[in-house]
Amino acid sequence: MRNRVVITGLGGICGLGTDAAAIWSAMRAGRSAIGEMTNSNLHQIKVKTGCEIKALPDHGIPHKQIVSMDRFSLLAVIAAREAMRQSGLVAGDAETYRMGAVIGVGICGWEAIEENYRAILLEGRNRAGIFTVPKVMPGAPAGQVSMDLGLRGPVFGVTSACSSANHAIASAVDQIRLGRADVMVAGGTDAPLAWGILKGWEALRVLAPDTCRPFSADRQGLVLGEGAGMAVLESYEHATARGAVILGEIAGVGFSGDASDIVAPTIEGPEAAMRACLADAGFNPGDVDYLNAHGTGTKANDQIETAAIKRVFADHAKKLSVSSTKSMHAHCLGASGALEMIACVMAIREGIVPPTANYREPDPDCDLDVTPNVARERPVRTALSNAFAFGGTNAVLAFKAV
Amino acid sequence: MADELTTDIITKIKAHAEPGGEEITSATELTALGIHSLELTEIIFDLEEDYGIEIEMNTVDAWANLKNVGDIVEAVRALIAKKA
Repeated sequence: MRNRVVITGLGGICGLGTDAAAIWSAMRAGRSAIGEMTNSNLHQIKVKTGCEIKALPDHGIPHKQIVSMDRFSLLAVIAAREAMRQSGLVAGDAETYRMGAVIGVGICGWEAIEENYRAILLEGRNRAGIFTVPKVMPGAPAGQVSMDLGLRGPVFGVTSACSSANHAIASAVDQIRLGRADVMVAGGTDAPLAWGILKGWEALRVLAPDTCRPFSADRQGLVLGEGAGMAVLESYEHATARGAVILGEIAGVGFSGDASDIVAPTIEGPEAAMRACLADAGFNPGDVDYLNAHGTGTKANDQIETAAIKRVFADHAKKLSVSSTKSMHAHCLGASGALEMIACVMAIREGIVPPTANYREPDPDCDLDVTPNVARERPVRTALSNAFAFGGTNAVLAFKAV
Repeated sequence: MADELTTDIITKIKAHAEPGGEEITSATELTALGIHSLELTEIIFDLEEDYGIEIEMNTVDAWANLKNVGDIVEAVRALIAKKA
């Protein structure tokens, strides 16, 4: 019998709010935080639409620590502290080697790159900032979170573009299942609203000029956002032994690779990942009440994801509540799956399916119940969370009530 | 009484220290500044540009040889003298 893995803390920060409760409250209300980007100098970028954290909360992280962090690490630490606070855990001396962190990152710490190439190439400076390497590296958020919370067990970063957070959470689940740790902080982070990154996305011509409208016939693409989401995962035995409040269970994980094209998705890859996840969780298709879709709002994704869901769920596909919360928090790349985990866990806890905001026109190719614009009350026993990515790296998580 | 070079270097260090901390003097231990070790190394390297000197130290050496603010001042003073 393998170790069951439960969630005892949640933390989050994104355009919707600076803690998990605020994020969930906005999701329930169907409020989209997508709008004009004003925080930083984006120079010449055509698309001005994004999903920014307008102001950071008063986090109390010491200056000495802040100078060594790029924005994606700072967001990760803020969310991880929140999740840890909710769990009631403190890394004590005896347990510290049984507690770890796995954090998904889609890109890297870009502020330092941006500052350096501008300083060196445009302003003639001859030396890069001394923190450039430790700020930029994709493993930095995991390291910073471990330092901040005193976690000395398995600590590493995970990267798979837009499915990074789901792969990270699944990898943290594995550490607990394999007995390497009792407690893992897991999630994802990214802060991509910088000129260099946006310029790259602009070239791909997949960014929506106005807003993100997943599954709507008039959708024009995705919108990028910044954020971080974290959970404290714990073995069921460890959580019950200390009398912790259990928020939900990670019932299963499922992976697949499209092995097809670096950007164009397939139906078979997502289908295989969802099937693998159901099998790992021991769910029948009919057991699933809510599916948090990858739902980026691009023509291709939403259509192909719909087709894949229909193949996996057959007759049950139309009874399933589906939604894309990216319509509200945008696509936060490495953080997306972690923010969507908040949606799934809270949907189960409150019996409320968060909606797909900004929805206007039915699309015959996306004819599932996508919960348009208004949240729906219904008992949610279980939820699936899809994450697909450039590279065809698919990862699906299954959640259930405990 | 601190000389000009000392005052100048302390001013540069202050800009990186936590506001509202204790007063910084030549005797202040570097570990007591509340400044990340790499950031302090960068302050030292910034002095290269400001004083037109070359500090031939890697990051590890910088830390092994310098204990307090006065040590930085004296290291820079020696390099300026060498250049002159």
